[in-house]
Formats: sequence, structure tokens, C-alpha cells
Amino acid sequence: MSEQTFEQAQVELEQIVERLERGDVGLEELTKLWERGEELYRRCAEQLAGAQGTIEELARRLDAQQT
Amino acid sequence: MKVEATEVEGRKVYSVRAFNQGVAGYIEKLPTVWVEGEVTELRRQDRWASVFLTLKDPEDGACLAVQMPRGQFDGLRLDLQDGERVHVYGRPELYAQRGDFHLRALTIERYGLGAHLAALERLKQKLAAEGLFAAERKRALPRIPALIGLITGNDAAAKRDVLTAITTRFPPAHVLVAETYVQGPRAAPAIATAIGDLCARGIDVLILARGGGSFEDLLPFSDERVVRAVAECPVPVVSAVGHEQDTPLCDLAADVRASTPSVAGRLVVPDLTELRAWLDRAHAGLGRGARRIVERHGERLATARERLRRAPLLALERRRARLDTTRGRLLALSPRATLERGYAIVRSGDALVREPPVPGTALAVEVAGGEFGARAE
Repeated sequence: MSEQTFEQAQVELEQIVERLERGDVGLEELTKLWERGEELYRRCAEQLAGAQGTIEELARRLDAQQT
Repeated sequence: MKVEATEVEGRKVYSVRAFNQGVAGYIEKLPTVWVEGEVTELRRQDRWASVFLTLKDPEDGACLAVQMPRGQFDGLRLDLQDGERVHVYGRPELYAQRGDFHLRALTIERYGLGAHLAALERLKQKLAAEGLFAAERKRALPRIPALIGLITGNDAAAKRDVLTAITTRFPPAHVLVAETYVQGPRAAPAIATAIGDLCARGIDVLILARGGGSFEDLLPFSDERVVRAVAECPVPVVSAVGHEQDTPLCDLAADVRASTPSVAGRLVVPDLTELRAWLDRAHAGLGRGARRIVERHGERLATARERLRRAPLLALERRRARLDTTRGRLLALSPRATLERGYAIVRSGDALVREPPVPGTALAVEVAGGEFGARAE
């Protein structure tokens, strides 16, 4: 689960919201779904808030190729 | 090589072998040059070490035999056809054993735009027939890529445009950049290799970006090796090569074609602001949906409770109604009907009088019209 990417979390969150909006959910399941949804939201929000991108150069082989 | 002649009857005489070797040694000292001509009689077989062709002068038909090691020839991937105009870079050579004179080619380049276009068109037809450009092969880009691969030249513009577009729209993006040659004979293999290297590093989307250039400059992006590498790339590829009107073949094989490097950058990442807004909406939807469900369950509970509360009262009323009915039926069965016919009911106290009572007993007599007292005699 911890390996879930942002995109996977996003998709799961969308599905949970859709289910809740349809409303055919029992109370017990509702609690579980809602908690899961909150967790996914928190995770997504954290990733968006904290993440600073990286730009990395793949080791150049230009010089090697020139010989 | 020193070529020795023998003295025969006062003449200097050379053996054929010595003569050929002598001339060959002389010819080898000539410089390496470019020769232009038309390809004819191209002969290539897998089991031969060399490829042979005859270069013909289009003006007067003068011919020159050309040889090239097969591996090198194949490496050029020219897909040459008879009649095409080429430049051959090579040096003259004499094959001493046979006295054959030919040009040993070091490289061959197609010459003239028309020839390039024709070759490109042939390659395009061939790859299209293999289905490399088919619409059903196109894959969707990931919504949020974890690692973006970028192949550009070290010309700053295309690279900068892509990176600026990506980081402006989505600052948390991770980009892995591979700089390669993007023109010239080294470009095609370098690009194909870079595609493989980036994929091995776990990218989940690839951008191929190059600014505008001349037709010849963009040719590597139509090279079969590059086009195939793009088509076979395990992750989706966005191609942004040249300007809008250029359509290198790699554009056709890519999953998405972007008109400029900036557009490519914007295509591969979501807009962070929009994403945040989406996340907020999803979060709100989560709460709203949950609340609505709780409310609905609550309403159902209230209804059930109401029904439960009313249930005993209801049962009581129902029972009372039943009692009333029974009573009606009971009344119908009362002796009143008999009294109407002139009979009387005689009671003494609470008891019915069935035997003649003791004289003087007080009696109650009920007749149809009412009741009156009497006394036995």
C-alpha cells in the first residue's frame, strides 16, 4: 500500500467519492470508506505540498561516443 | 612495397603479380575523396563480406566499381535503390589478384532532397505496413508521471522549453534528461540508445524534443532505428521534433505528437493548481457523500422508531375494533328478537326464573317494550 503512487491514490479516492455519492453504502462500510478516503486525501495533499521536483542528467556518453 | 623487375633479354620485365602490386601500392597513396554518381547494379547478399555497386556518371555514363564491407553498408541503413544519386567517400584501390580497380567506400550518403524524400516515403510505407503508426497502438499518457524521460540535443532552447513548461505547470515533477546528438550520422543510434537507457531507469513517459532545423537536420528522427525504438518504447512517447509542418517519422510512431517542445512539456504533467482544486473537491465530496449517507440512515432510523412507537397503540385499536364487531354480532343474537314475538324474560335478582317462584318473590319482567316489576302469587 505504501508503494501506491499519487495517481493510484487519486484513482482510488475518486472511486470512493463516487461510491459515497451514489450512497448505497452500509454504515459500517461507510466508516471504513470514509477513513480510507481521508487517508488518501491526506497522502495526496502531502505529496503535492511537500514535493520539490528534480531534474537529473543521465550520465553523458557524448564524449565516449566521439572517440 | 618494392617491386622488383627481372632482366630478360635486356628488358626489364615485371610479373603480373609484381605489376599489380606496384600499381596497387601507387594507387593507395591517392587521397580519400568524395565521388558523386548514380547507383546501379547494387549487389548485396548476406553471405558476402562486401557489398558491390557501380557508380555511374549521369552525364556520360562513365562507370566506377564501388565496394564496401557489408557490415558498414548495413550500418548506414540507406535502403538504397538503383538510380539514386549518392556521394561516396572512399579511396581508390586495386585488387592485385585480379587487377580489378574499384573505389573502396568508407561511407555513402544519399544526395539530393528528392532522393531523401523518396527513401523516406519508402520507409514510411514499409513501417506503416507493419502497423507501427496504427491508431490502436497509441497509449494514453500517465496523468501524473513519477519520472519523466527527456531526450534533447544540448542546444539549450528545446530542453529549456520542455523543462520550463513542466516545472511551471507541475513543480514536483521529476525529470531525467538525456542529451544526445540530434543531427548528423551519430544522432540516430545515439537517440535509440538513449531511449533504451531512459526506459531502463524506470521512466513512465518519454519526451523526444528537438527544435526546428533543416530537412537534413531532422533526418535522424526519421531513421528506422529511431522510429522503431519509439514504437517499441515500453512507456508512452511524446514527440516534439521540428516545427508544425515537419512530420518526421518518429512523430507518427509516437503516442502523442506535440507541435512544440513547450506543448510536449505541458502535455506530460497535470496543472498543479487544477490538481489541488480537484483534490479539494474530492475531499469535499467525501465529506458530503458521507454526511448524506449518515443522514439517510438517520432518516430511516427515525421512521422505524416512529413506527415502532405507534405499533402498540395501533394493535390496541385494532383489537378494540374487533371487539366492537364481535359485540354487534352478539347483540344480534340477543333474546330481544324473541321478546318482540311476545315472550317475556322473568328474573329474580340476577337469576332467571325457570320454576314457579315462592309466592311473594319480587320479580323483574322484561318484555319487548321495557321492564317492569311484579310479585309472585
